[in-house]
Amino acid sequence: MTSSAMATLDHPELRESLNNLLRSSRPRLERVLRNFEVPPEDAEDILQDAQLTLLYKWDKVRSPESWLIGTVKKKCIMYWRKRRGSLCEAVDTAILDLIALPQAPDQERTELTCDLNRVLSKLSARCRSLLKLRYGLGYGPTEVAEQMGYQTSSIRKVTNRCLAALTRQLLAVGFHVAPEGVGEDDHVPGEPQDG
Amino acid sequence: MYQESRKMGDHPSSGLLFDFLFGRSTRHRNRQVVRHLLDGCAVCAAAVDGVPSLPRAQTFDYAAAFGRVERAVEERHHDFAVERAEAAERLREIAVQPFYRQWIMVTESAHFRTWGFCVLLLDACREWGFQDPPRALHTARLGLEIADRLDRERYGAARVNDLRARAWATLANAERILNDFRAAEKSFGRAERLLKEGTGDPLEAAFYLLLKASLCGHQQRFSEAFRLLDRVQRTARRCGDLHLCGKALITRGFLAGMAHEPELSLQLLREGLGLVDPGAEPRLVVAACHNLILGLTESGRHQEARELLEDSRPLYQRLGDSMNLIRLTWIEGKIALGCAELGRAEALLLEARSELTERGLAYDAALLCLDLARLYARQGRGAEMRRLAEEILPIFQAREIGREAVSALIVFQKAAAMETVTLGIVQELSDSLQESRAVPGLRFRESL
Repeated sequence: MTSSAMATLDHPELRESLNNLLRSSRPRLERVLRNFEVPPEDAEDILQDAQLTLLYKWDKVRSPESWLIGTVKKKCIMYWRKRRGSLCEAVDTAILDLIALPQAPDQERTELTCDLNRVLSKLSARCRSLLKLRYGLGYGPTEVAEQMGYQTSSIRKVTNRCLAALTRQLLAVGFHVAPEGVGEDDHVPGEPQDG
Repeated sequence: MYQESRKMGDHPSSGLLFDFLFGRSTRHRNRQVVRHLLDGCAVCAAAVDGVPSLPRAQTFDYAAAFGRVERAVEERHHDFAVERAEAAERLREIAVQPFYRQWIMVTESAHFRTWGFCVLLLDACREWGFQDPPRALHTARLGLEIADRLDRERYGAARVNDLRARAWATLANAERILNDFRAAEKSFGRAERLLKEGTGDPLEAAFYLLLKASLCGHQQRFSEAFRLLDRVQRTARRCGDLHLCGKALITRGFLAGMAHEPELSLQLLREGLGLVDPGAEPRLVVAACHNLILGLTESGRHQEARELLEDSRPLYQRLGDSMNLIRLTWIEGKIALGCAELGRAEALLLEARSELTERGLAYDAALLCLDLARLYARQGRGAEMRRLAEEILPIFQAREIGREAVSALIVFQKAAAMETVTLGIVQELSDSLQESRAVPGLRFRESL
């Protein structure tokens, strides 16, 4: 249809370029992956996804190495965000399960409530109230929203933040936390950096 | 079960903690770990204080992962190479068909539903945006239709969303060029939503922002447009993409011109031209050079404009686009007029007008006549001026133009009838028409 559009088609060297790029960038990529502490099996997914995107967008990327390193870094950040989300979900499910266990003796139940209250007492008043409604009274999200005066549309987000705070508290400083409001295209301070 | 977790021993093993942290543990095991942590175990909290302290994390070996990725990409590359080769063929096949037939082919045949073909179509839109905006709009719709039908399993859902976002942004840009700003806003909205579900590729976002900035500029929302362009430049720097940085500067230069900041516009266009790769987007370079020449001419720097025009002439000719060549003649006429070479100016302007009229571009021809009007006013050629006014006024009146432009038209009309048009009257009409957003004039409507 147009000469410039047609000109982008002939890339017999594309496969070789992609492989060479992966090989030449490997030390930097490994450094990124190590700094972000991504296990190899997950690193493979990240790398493969980035390389496939690069394959499809090769014509649009003018500096493939910068693009690849930047993309892998970003995917590592997203990986940890997702991990944190899963971890919070696991903690939430575990607490709900523990509370719901029918065969737990009274003493154990009291100890659990006591331990839970101790952890919750270290959270902000808002999170404490929300999680007490969730775990103590067994309220669902809509009931929590009504009780605390939140919009039902925003309660999920608020609950997730409180669960993240609870998980942080449980694990002390056991996982990296991106500051609130960090944009997708921004670097996350505090995250491990490529050396 | 609960008792079991309390009797689990003093601490969960590092392996169990690791699996818990990485989401690889069972629900039952998770419960054990969480119950233990609720006890406030400082030892385990310290153990999970950063995954690398866990033994497994320190022994990460990525060699096998790199090997497997290389093989996986090689496999996919083969399919993609075939697809790209076919895409070129499909593009030739479809290009000769009328629009309605193209639509049928694309919607009914799975052969057209490939990434490679979709990208080629969307790239073609950029070309048509310069030359044939309605065609660009149609092509963008085709591209969008294909992007929506791409196999998510094959290409990856996030990547498909990237391409769908690109298709919506391309459509929005075509709508913007055709002055349908409301439709463009909506299409950009769709593009933005899809980008959020995409891969997060910063270059994809930059493409969207660049086009959105153009829309904002055309809506006179200059500060917003410049903010978007700042983001594009930041992305370009981070990705080491000088060409993109140059494109952002050129767009900024176009918009600065629209915002009546001629000096800034010239400076930005120069800077942008210094960064873009001329081989990659020759039309963009010609458009930027053209606006630079026009800016210099309008600032009275005719000699500079002429020198730049001579330097750029081979580029116009190499591109061979007839509209560009007409614009070249027009601007040469303007420069000659500025240099008081009135005979040459008249010949060039008449030549450009005749070419525009031949192509049925009456409105552009009428705009060019304002330059002829300047020439006639300078020479006091009242009769020619009257004829010119009779010819162009209905064309302007048929267009949606601002109140000030209508007033300036009436003044011009009366003065022409009385053969008393002055340079000031022509300038006022020209300025008020430029103010009116419906008037792209000799300036390139940037269609990046």
